[in-house]
Amino acid sequence: MQPIPIIASVLIALSVGSNDTSNALGICIGCRIISFRRAVILFGVFVLIGILLQGRKVMKTVGKDIVEMDLRILGISLLVSAMLIIISNWKRLPVSTHQVIIGSLTGSGTALGADVNYGSLFEILLSWVISPLAAFFASLIIYRAMEKTLSKLPFLQIERIIRVLLLASGIIIAYTTGANELATILGPIIHAGLIDEAWAFLGGAFLVFLGAVLLSNRIIETIGSGITALDPYSGFAAQFGAGCCVFLFTSLGMPISTTYCIIGGITGVGMLKGTGTVSVDLLKKIALSWIMAPALAFLTCFTIIRTLT
Amino acid sequence: MVLKDLFLGGKKELEVIDKMKKHMGFLCSACTTLKAAIENRDKELISSVSDLEREGDIVRREIFSNIYEGAFLPFLRPNICRFVEIVDNALDVTKDAAIEYTDLELDEETKDDCARIADISAKMCEMLLAAIETLSGRADLREKSLAIRIYEKRVDEIEFDLIKRLRTKEIKNFWEGKALSDFIHDLTSISDLIEDASDYLQIINISLR
Repeated sequence: MQPIPIIASVLIALSVGSNDTSNALGICIGCRIISFRRAVILFGVFVLIGILLQGRKVMKTVGKDIVEMDLRILGISLLVSAMLIIISNWKRLPVSTHQVIIGSLTGSGTALGADVNYGSLFEILLSWVISPLAAFFASLIIYRAMEKTLSKLPFLQIERIIRVLLLASGIIIAYTTGANELATILGPIIHAGLIDEAWAFLGGAFLVFLGAVLLSNRIIETIGSGITALDPYSGFAAQFGAGCCVFLFTSLGMPISTTYCIIGGITGVGMLKGTGTVSVDLLKKIALSWIMAPALAFLTCFTIIRTLT
Repeated sequence: MVLKDLFLGGKKELEVIDKMKKHMGFLCSACTTLKAAIENRDKELISSVSDLEREGDIVRREIFSNIYEGAFLPFLRPNICRFVEIVDNALDVTKDAAIEYTDLELDEETKDDCARIADISAKMCEMLLAAIETLSGRADLREKSLAIRIYEKRVDEIEFDLIKRLRTKEIKNFWEGKALSDFIHDLTSISDLIEDASDYLQIINISLR
């Protein structure tokens, strides 16, 4: 049973690398601010810095505070999480790694009658609701501030500053991917004592980097070109707003989704430009996925454990 | 290296802006030369307009090549390329007008109107050149765009009167009439294209704000 959680964590870390590099540096690569090779190296470095400097709080929340961990809970939860994440990536459905892992841990814990800390769970659920809204308002404020300051500069200067800002916001997202996303994956196995913390940090960051090198190229091309074709000005406000928001929640030890924060940020900037620019249908689908992902993970783990025991 | 590129970069963009000015400068010279050719009935100058158009083509290719190599954010590139294409079209029609002029014998009144149109087009070029400079400076682009629109309106008024008068003029044969019509059409198209280019410059300028 012992290798199963580690193998599942390896798969999830690779998947995070393949998908989340585009969250962080897709815009920069699409804008040719930085080459793919340099972007991936930068991403890997900041993921490692993120987990080293700020990963422990989120790791404690996920690995210790939610459910009383044992090897069965860990094995089933991470295996189901890895499968759900891989299937959703394959089917191109947006799911949050955090939601799937936390849904799985809670489902397994409940099925085995383990001590589930509903207080912590409620705090996490609350942070999932608040974080996209916080990103919504943060992006809105950043966009307004840019309009008041940056817009007054000459065109060429704005172009240069936006390049620097886009790279800075990409680095923040890379950092929070380490401090929050990777911490969510590593928290359960470190706190269960399956792996030494230092090795987990290095190995985890390397796997995320490997996922970025091997699997992220196509996704980055699609997302990078797609987003930048819209508007780098709004793209920065949304990404930076989301990055600041994830950074704040990471400091509070809350495992939250970068993707949902970026969606919140994009919606905020879209609202500022006019409600017509926001696709309500798409937001409904995202909201449905937001509810379905943890629910499905919970039910799958619960059913598997109840069937097996 | 990455940070050096990022903070000290912008050379590619400045190079493109400089080449856009150079390209625009060729259009200014072409319009001024055409004006001089019409005013002085000096058909020797026509070949200079063709030379300027050829040099403009070379600069246009260099601009596209710089943009392909990564100058400017991809979001801005289509509008910058469109701007350069419009300026290049203006150079083409200036050359066409110059070539058509070689076969024409204009009466004094028509010659004066055509020279006025060429003169206004040259002034519009200078205004557009100043507008390009605002991309790297703090000057207000809107004032220049407004001035270009006013100039264009003046060309339209001269064109309206000119065509009205030319319709009463007796034409000896089809080809003489066609050459005159094509010349007037190309001459007045220059200002239309400069106005279009000015609009694109305005789009480029506001697209990052």
